[in-house]
Amino acid sequence: MTVPSRQPGLYLHVPFCSAICPYCDFAVMRAGESIRRRFVDCLIAEVPLAAGAWPDPRPFDTVYFGGGTPSLLPPEDLARVLDACRTHLALASPAPWVFLEANPEDVTADACAAWRRLGVRTLSLGVQSFEGEALRFLARRHTAAQARVAVEVAHAAGFDTVSVDLIFGLPDQTSEAWLRDLQAAVALAPGHLSCYQLTIHARTQLGVRAARGLIAELPDRDQAELFDLTHRFLADAGWPAYEVSNFARGPDHESRHNRKYWDHTPYLGLGPSAHSFAVGGMAAHPGRADDSGAVAAGHRWWNEPRLRPWEHRVAAGERPVAGEERLGPLALATETLMLGLRTTAGVDLDGFAARYGLDLVAANDALVTSLVREGRLCVRSGPEGRRLVPTVLGLAVADGLAAAFDLPLP
Amino acid sequence: MDNIRNFCIIAHIDHGKSTLADRLIQRCGAVEARDFRDQILDSMDLERERGITIKANSVTLPYTAKDGQTYELNLIDTPGHVDFSHEVRRSLMSCEGALLVIDASQGVEAQTVANLYLAMELGLEIVPVINKIDLPSADIDRVMEEIDRDLALDPFEAVQVSAKLGTGIDDLLEAIVHKLPPPTGDPEAPLRALLFDAQYDAYRGAVLLVRLFDGTLRAPTRIRLMHSGEEHKVEEVGCQRLKRVPTGELSAGEVGYVLAGIKSLSGLAIGDTLTEAERPAAEPVPGYREAKPVVFSSIYPMETNDYGDLTKALEKLKLNDTSLTYEKDSSAALGFGFRCGFLGLLHLDVIQERLEREHSLSLILSAPSVRYRVVLNDSSEIWVDNPTFYPDPTSIKEVFEPYIKATIMTPERYLGTVMELCRERRGVDTRFNYLAAGRMEVLSELPLAEVLFDFYDRLKSLTQGYGSFDYELLDYRQADAVKVDILVNGEKVDALSQLVHRESARPRALKYCERLARTIPRQQFKIAIQGAIGGQIIARTTINPFRKDVTAKCYGGDITRKRKLLEKQKEGKKKMKMVGAVEIPQAAFVAVLRTEDDEDEG
Repeated sequence: MTVPSRQPGLYLHVPFCSAICPYCDFAVMRAGESIRRRFVDCLIAEVPLAAGAWPDPRPFDTVYFGGGTPSLLPPEDLARVLDACRTHLALASPAPWVFLEANPEDVTADACAAWRRLGVRTLSLGVQSFEGEALRFLARRHTAAQARVAVEVAHAAGFDTVSVDLIFGLPDQTSEAWLRDLQAAVALAPGHLSCYQLTIHARTQLGVRAARGLIAELPDRDQAELFDLTHRFLADAGWPAYEVSNFARGPDHESRHNRKYWDHTPYLGLGPSAHSFAVGGMAAHPGRADDSGAVAAGHRWWNEPRLRPWEHRVAAGERPVAGEERLGPLALATETLMLGLRTTAGVDLDGFAARYGLDLVAANDALVTSLVREGRLCVRSGPEGRRLVPTVLGLAVADGLAAAFDLPLP
Repeated sequence: MDNIRNFCIIAHIDHGKSTLADRLIQRCGAVEARDFRDQILDSMDLERERGITIKANSVTLPYTAKDGQTYELNLIDTPGHVDFSHEVRRSLMSCEGALLVIDASQGVEAQTVANLYLAMELGLEIVPVINKIDLPSADIDRVMEEIDRDLALDPFEAVQVSAKLGTGIDDLLEAIVHKLPPPTGDPEAPLRALLFDAQYDAYRGAVLLVRLFDGTLRAPTRIRLMHSGEEHKVEEVGCQRLKRVPTGELSAGEVGYVLAGIKSLSGLAIGDTLTEAERPAAEPVPGYREAKPVVFSSIYPMETNDYGDLTKALEKLKLNDTSLTYEKDSSAALGFGFRCGFLGLLHLDVIQERLEREHSLSLILSAPSVRYRVVLNDSSEIWVDNPTFYPDPTSIKEVFEPYIKATIMTPERYLGTVMELCRERRGVDTRFNYLAAGRMEVLSELPLAEVLFDFYDRLKSLTQGYGSFDYELLDYRQADAVKVDILVNGEKVDALSQLVHRESARPRALKYCERLARTIPRQQFKIAIQGAIGGQIIARTTINPFRKDVTAKCYGGDITRKRKLLEKQKEGKKKMKMVGAVEIPQAAFVAVLRTEDDEDEG
């Protein structure tokens, strides 16, 4: 575990891609030069709007450029955005940890150098596969060789962490093919690996093909086998999992930003479709989110998902918020459990009891007993207190586990 | 009185009793053609649909015969199933004659015989009626031979009709007038009226259908029910056309209705005798027997919230069905419900369907059980029809269970399989008789409990639909009964406990376990399903856990959507019943508790 951070994170969504991947259901689009420039202007304009309503005075210690493909934006544009953030928001000093998602074909020594100068410390590469067939199926624009080169170039540029994203569970994918992918990734020695399971969403190209019966999601059994293989292989290779789909070669390489999503650390999201979370009643008690961890209420809101409505509202001087949700103790407790069971750190039972007044294990005695007997969970006591920790078998069914628990909050 | 004919129609299900009644009613002009709807006597939707008569009804028909005289024909309907044999008996007792309907293509069946014997025992004159002579498959010669050989009736007395087309109806009416005797009785003697049926009218309360043997009845006589001792003041008497027609009085030999401001049917016993409170008869009409439930099952609403509706629905049904009994019951797995007593399996079926259809309830019924007589070590005796109350085996000295005499009719070629079925079901003293050429009658003494579980369906399938089955209760005999519990991950599912014969315990437990294993969805952990007698495990299956259900995907900060999905998932689980940590969907109970046996064989 890294040192727990309660400082907020900043997320910046860049909704552009050079092409839309057939599996992607994110808020992305292809766009020309002029649209991109207008977008950057709007994103910069959103910063002061959002800053005015942001309740947390603590400096942001992570900044994450995600998308889409932020590497499509010229480094100068990224720099302008960062400048605006520094002007209007409190950023950690000397500098926050900056993450950037990039496509392998955009990774050049020059680009890396520029990104390094911007303060990027984690470069996350959307490799997806090192197998030609899989890359063709996923309609990626790079080859396996390009992907390898990209990782090497990024390493040479001196990023603290190079992360490689892979996708598994393709229709008809064999465990041999997936194992070759994992071996190829490990051979490049990235600090961080994300292995995402292919999900076929209805409104994507793959979804349409699946609806026509041309392809089918890999069956549950095979998915389970690949999942199991992934976790075993990477743990042995030195990249133990710290979350369902995230693996790191040592705690320093774990994502400082993503974990904020999992433990109710505040985050501010800018750009279309970005989500934000703040602790406590928003305007009522700015600054109440102290380090005691006494989360009683949360506030989550999200921006207009589509580029045009988002731009219009920002241009009109409004916050482009499309929806919001106040989270009471039950919603927060549900999320704590749901997200905690997806991490290898598990759920902090003492913290949970202190925050929500419920002994999670006692309230679900029979369930926990059978899950422990089945090897899905263990209850661990240590210097950090009692934790409910999923095993690899448990991680494979984490969503179902969370749903099985009763949360009779007092 | 000489111009009155009281008769009923005896027929096997589907042999066309109701259609024949319709034709008689139509021919006598008791109903305008425009008011006519088929099968008037079967007034419940369910009866019309299933073609069986559940509640007897009756109607008075004026008929001008060829001799120029006008007769009052009282057609007394009889319920068409053995479960209602007490009602059949009352109906038959109200008549002097019976039409025995036999399907021209199906021939004589078991139930026909059973009811014929009952009619003969009560001294009724029988007129055989061969129906459906219009069918291409009609084999009148064969049926006449069966009438002669199986029923020992004169086949040449038989009237040939087609109720559907109306052929032969005039001949039949003449036969009713000339072959059936008029009633006898003394209009001056103290009143003796047999209560052979009762209906419930939302406005007038109980409508008593009676046959007067002696005396005369008019308003406002004070009447007494001789068995229950209750007294009521008569408000109105009359005869049942298709509607009630007040006549001012009823006298010996007549059939009619009585209104006496009785609020519900629940205190009434079919078979009771009405007499005058002032001048009571010395003896009631003989043959009174209380209708006792023999099959028991607990009924639970699918949705716990529907308990109130179920309560109301049962109260309503009870108004019209004096033989239904129920009391509160509860199950850890299924919540609150009712333990109900039925006259038989069909009665149970009918009640279930009426609750579901007329009251729009979704129900779960526990495995039907008979009532055991349990003698404890201290020689005290208890009756147990609910597995929940079955005493600890060590405290039991002996157990007795009800036996039936089953009459099965089958084509000869299935004799072996039918005998085998009886043997499987612990039949004793199984015998067979040759009836007409190629037809057999198998008699067997079977434990009633063995008939409750898919016996009828098995018989039907073994004989390719040709076998027919009828039964009557015999006596109680010593039994080797055990209580089988079903356990899910070590926790007893009380709603699935049942009392069975020791030899059937293992196969039955296994069947339940397998059905459960097929219907409980896989969960995150392994689920053991076991059948046990006391602490001894006798059957076991397991459900393997999910191997993977998580989407290993990135989702940025959009936790809300993910949580909403999870909340939806939890909502779905709420509808399931929790046993220990295992969610059991209602569908699993329904699947496990169904009595028929289908894909299990594979």
